[in-house]
Formats: sequence, structure tokens, C-alpha cells
Amino acid sequence: MTPTDLTKVQRNLSALVEFSRIVNSSLNLEFTLNNLLLSCFGKFLVTRGIVVLNDKGNSKIYSSKGLSPEIVESFPQVKYINEDIIIDSKLSEYLKLNKLIFFQKICSSRDCLGFIALGEKINKTDYSEEETEFLKTILNIAATAIENSIFIQELKLVNRNLDSRINRLNSLFELSKEFGIINQEVRIGKLLLYSLLGHFMISNYSIVLFENKELILLESTITHEKINSVLSLYDISKISQPINSVNMKKEFPLLSGFGFELIVPMSLQNVTKGIILLGKRINNIDYTEDDIEFVSSVGSLAIVSFENKKLFKEALEKQKLEEELEIAKTIQQKLLPSKLPELKNFEIAALSVSSKQVGGDYYDVIKLNEKDYVVAIGDVSGKGVPASLLMANLQAFLKSICKQGLTIDSATGVINDLVTENTSDGRFITFFWGILDDEFKSFKYVNAGHNPPLLIRNNKIQRLEKGGIILGVMKTFTPYLQEEIFLQSGDLIVLFTDGITEAKNLEDEDFSDERFESFLLSLSDENSTEIIKKIGNEISDYTLGQMQSDDITLIVIKVN
Amino acid sequence: MSDFSTTIREAGDVSIIELNGYLDAHTAPQLESAFSDLIDKKRFKIVANFEKLKYISSAGLGVFMAFIETIRSNNGDIKLTTMIPSVYNIFDLLGFPLLYEFFSTEKEAIDKFNQQ
Repeated sequence: MTPTDLTKVQRNLSALVEFSRIVNSSLNLEFTLNNLLLSCFGKFLVTRGIVVLNDKGNSKIYSSKGLSPEIVESFPQVKYINEDIIIDSKLSEYLKLNKLIFFQKICSSRDCLGFIALGEKINKTDYSEEETEFLKTILNIAATAIENSIFIQELKLVNRNLDSRINRLNSLFELSKEFGIINQEVRIGKLLLYSLLGHFMISNYSIVLFENKELILLESTITHEKINSVLSLYDISKISQPINSVNMKKEFPLLSGFGFELIVPMSLQNVTKGIILLGKRINNIDYTEDDIEFVSSVGSLAIVSFENKKLFKEALEKQKLEEELEIAKTIQQKLLPSKLPELKNFEIAALSVSSKQVGGDYYDVIKLNEKDYVVAIGDVSGKGVPASLLMANLQAFLKSICKQGLTIDSATGVINDLVTENTSDGRFITFFWGILDDEFKSFKYVNAGHNPPLLIRNNKIQRLEKGGIILGVMKTFTPYLQEEIFLQSGDLIVLFTDGITEAKNLEDEDFSDERFESFLLSLSDENSTEIIKKIGNEISDYTLGQMQSDDITLIVIKVN
Repeated sequence: MSDFSTTIREAGDVSIIELNGYLDAHTAPQLESAFSDLIDKKRFKIVANFEKLKYISSAGLGVFMAFIETIRSNNGDIKLTTMIPSVYNIFDLLGFPLLYEFFSTEKEAIDKFNQQ
């Protein structure tokens, strides 16, 4: 070995050591490749070169020097470069064209990573064998550094993806917490929107809810009219899966026209309750599967929250309504007499069973003077609060009319006029009332369309039907008729509402007038209280297990 | 519950909004109303100082997105400054550097407005 050779070797060695030190300390791919090219340029005195690496089955230029961007751009599509590199014709043409004459693959101990291609040397000499060996050595060192840098790069990417996932999970967690607390729908919409805006950097969006077939625009950059005009053309409640921009162009071209690129349904138990429409992301990145999944999760959280708020509101309203009904029922109960007066010649007993709802049955026994007593029974059509209000009215009319000293027939006319004036929604009252004379044992009555009370005398039934039309339908035109009956000892008068005769058994059959009448005949020897008790038992036996759908009212008058 | 507050300062026609504490789904409405107020007052040159912000979630980021178009269409901007690394990381993760200018000091951000 001559001294010049020795210096050369020494120089080569120190260059290699220097290169190794630098690239291995950086772990930055760009830096490593840049250094590789620079080292080659310095060693071989070249001015152009490229480093091509495999990237997921494709090869591309990772670093270049001395080449115009156009040349770098025009690098041909080359498949994976393996150990036994076979340069395809396009690649060799490219290298030739760009005067990249010296070519060497870059392989680590495990894998072939790519290749380096260098231009001709400035002194136009060929690459010597020794130079080739040097390049091979330097590439060996570089290969390890490249592998490491790629690994680090991938690790960074994985870390970033992980960060991104953690961030999404955090958002979901935070939103689910927040959605649980807030109780304004507007607020939920805003939070949903901000989360989406923050995540995807969108400037075009629309969040639409469906409620009772109507579209509610929660948040939108597009006016209600515009979006409504388009959405109404489609059955969007049928959207059960997210729709990406490609399918949107096919299925919903008009929505694409607004700049939307993604539709994500918000569904609850497989029912689509709303949709989220998102426009292009400002960074021009398409929505990935993960993104769509995230929008879908956020949307579901929001819709659950909306639904909960709605149910809560409904439950509150229902509770309030039930409370009101309960109050109405209590008031109504108080309108009925708590204690019946005791008469000399008559024994009066009454039964009143109200159904679950507030009903419109009414009865009363009012003392007029020392010998006269009014007995009244009525049934207001319909149920609920309106019926009970009308019943309360009737009671008030009756109490005041009793003090006017009118005859019972003309008094009925006045009551009818009053009721007619006070009903507007087609409600009416079937009403029966009479005056018991405790001195002369007589009963003077008017029947205004009520199911006729029964007079039972000597096992025969007589119906008390004299009167006129039901109350509340029209002003009194034809005067009501009255009838006076002189009673005998043992006579029985039974006043009732249709809740008795229409009480239903399990087979949905009425208790019926016939059954009621024959049952009454069998009881005619009993006293009033006993009769009431037995009828009550009979009805509850008959309707066993059936929900009572109507009020039941019954008054029994026994003549002593 | 997490704490969050904002303080507004003026420097010429630039408004500086200082963010303090934790900005998440729960506190985002506060920032929202602060921005609304600035816009109502036609203060469109805004520097958001994150020095005292300890945490931000994507809902917080969304507030910045919600107002940026209005502000820019009025020749204004929101410039972001002095973030701690964990806060910046979220902005970076969600791609905000593409759309917003970040500065390491409040002064740089104000100067940038004044140069324009």
C-alpha cells in the first residue's frame, strides 16, 4: 500500500465515521437522506442525484438535489423495488434522460429500502470500483439510519393518531356529561355544532331534527326555506346510514349542490330522528370512516339528550294534568251531598261511584221548606274537566232556582235556558228532578231526557217519563210537562244513571235494563239502604275485573 | 365544575381576549358570548391570549370556528398567542394551524394587525 493509498483509505474511513455519526444521531429521514446525497456529492464530485424509497408498494423520490422540480415530478410509477432489482424500462429511460448514470440499491440486513441514483462526475470520469465499494458501505450505514427514521416517523404518526382518538373519546365523554346536564334544546344544538366545527373545521353545515313530520332546523348556514324545499323532496327519515359525497351526488344531487359532502343520520333505536349535514372541510381532507363514526356518535348522544328532554317535558305535563284531574275530581265529589236529609214518610238512600276519570254524574236532595224536598239526578254528556264544570254549573243553577218559588215545570224551562246559554260545544245534560211532599206523600216530577226512574208498586214497574227534551240542546220552546204521583206505603222509586245499566262484564255485555228491573223486583221488600247495598254488590260482581268506564249513581226512595 | 373566565383588554383597535382556566363543552358558551359581544361592538381585530388557559376541548375549538367567518368578512381576524404545549397540541391535532395564525407572544400578534 503506497502512502497515497493510505491517506485515501484514511480519508474514506473518517468520512464514513463522520457520516455514520451524523445520520445516526438525527433519526430524521429528511436530514439523513440530505446528508447521504451531500456526502456522495462531496466524495464523487457530482451535482445531481436522487434517493428513491419504497413506500407501501410504490416507489417515490424522497430526496433529490440538482434536479428541477419538474424532473422530480415526472418520476415514473415504479412498483416495489426488491433485492434483485430489475429496472423496468420506464425507470431506466427516466434515469438515462436525466443523466443519472450511477445506480445503487439501498438495502438493510432485513429489507431492500430503495436506491440512490447519481449523475455523472464533474470530471466526466467513470465511477471506479473503489468508489462503488465506498458507496455500498455508506449506503449500508444509511440503510440502518433510514430504517430507524422511518420507524420513528411511523411511530410519530401512530402517536398522533392515538392522540386524535383520545381527543375524540374525550370529546364524547365530555359531551355525554354535558348533554346530561343542560336542559335547553338550543344549547344542545349549539354544543353539538361546536364539537363538529372544532373537530372538522367546517364552514357549511345544517342540523335538522324531525318532529311530528316537521323539519326543525337546529343550526344551519343555509336558510330554512332552502333546506326545507330540498329535504321535502326526499323521505329523509329513511336515511339510516351515513352517506358520503360520492353517494350523495347520486342520491341527493340537490344537497350536493348546497356544498354538503356528508349526511349522518341521528337515530335512536333504529329510528332516524334527525340528520347532520356537513360541508367540505376547510383543510380539504375527505371525511374518513373514523370521522363519520365520530359524527355519528356525537349525533346519537345529542339525539338521546333531545329525546330525554322531550320525554321529561311530556311526563311533567302529564303529571300536571293528572294533578288537575285529581283536584277536579275532589271538587266534584264535594258537589254531591255528603249527608241526605231524614224525612218522615220516606227513606232515601243514594250510591255514587265515580269512574277513574272525572265524570259528569250528579245527584242532590235539597230541602225546600218544612215538607218539600227536591230530589234530582243528572248525567252530563262526555267526561273530563269540561263535563264536571258543566255539572258544577247545573248544581249552582239548581240551588238558586229552588229559592225562586217557581213550579217545577217552568223551573225546568229556566234551567234549560241557562244550560243552553252556557254550553257551546254540543254538550248536554239528561236530567230528572222531582219534589217529594213529606206531608201528603206525593211526588211531582219533570224528566228532561233522563233514563226514566222506576216506580215499583205491587211488583209492577212504572216508568217516570213525563217531561221534555234534554237540557242544553236548544232554548225552551215547548214547555216541559210535569206529573204528580200519589204514593202508597211500600212504593219504591229508583233513580239511576246509565252507568248501571251499561256496566259491562268481561264479555263486554251490558248489565241491561231487563236485568236491573228484575233484580229490583226481587228486592222490593227490602229497605232503601239494603237495596242500594245489594245493587252495588250485584254490579261489582257482574263487572268483575272490568274497568268501570262510567260513573254510577243511584237513588232509592222507599215510602214508609 | 370547571372554571373558565375571559378578560377583555384593548390595544388601539385590537381587542385582546385573555382566556383563563378550562375551556370545554361546559364553559364554551362563556367564550361564545364574549365573542358575540366583541362582534356587536364591531371589534373585529381580536388577539386571543391563551397564557392562562390550562385545557381546551374540541367544543372550545368549535367556538373559534363559529365566529371566524363573520370576523374575517369584516376585515378582522382572530390571532392566537402564548399557548402551553398541551393546548397547542389540540389545535395542531385538529389542523387549526392551516387556518389560524399562532404567535408566541401577544405583542407579535398585535404588531401583525398593525402592520396590515
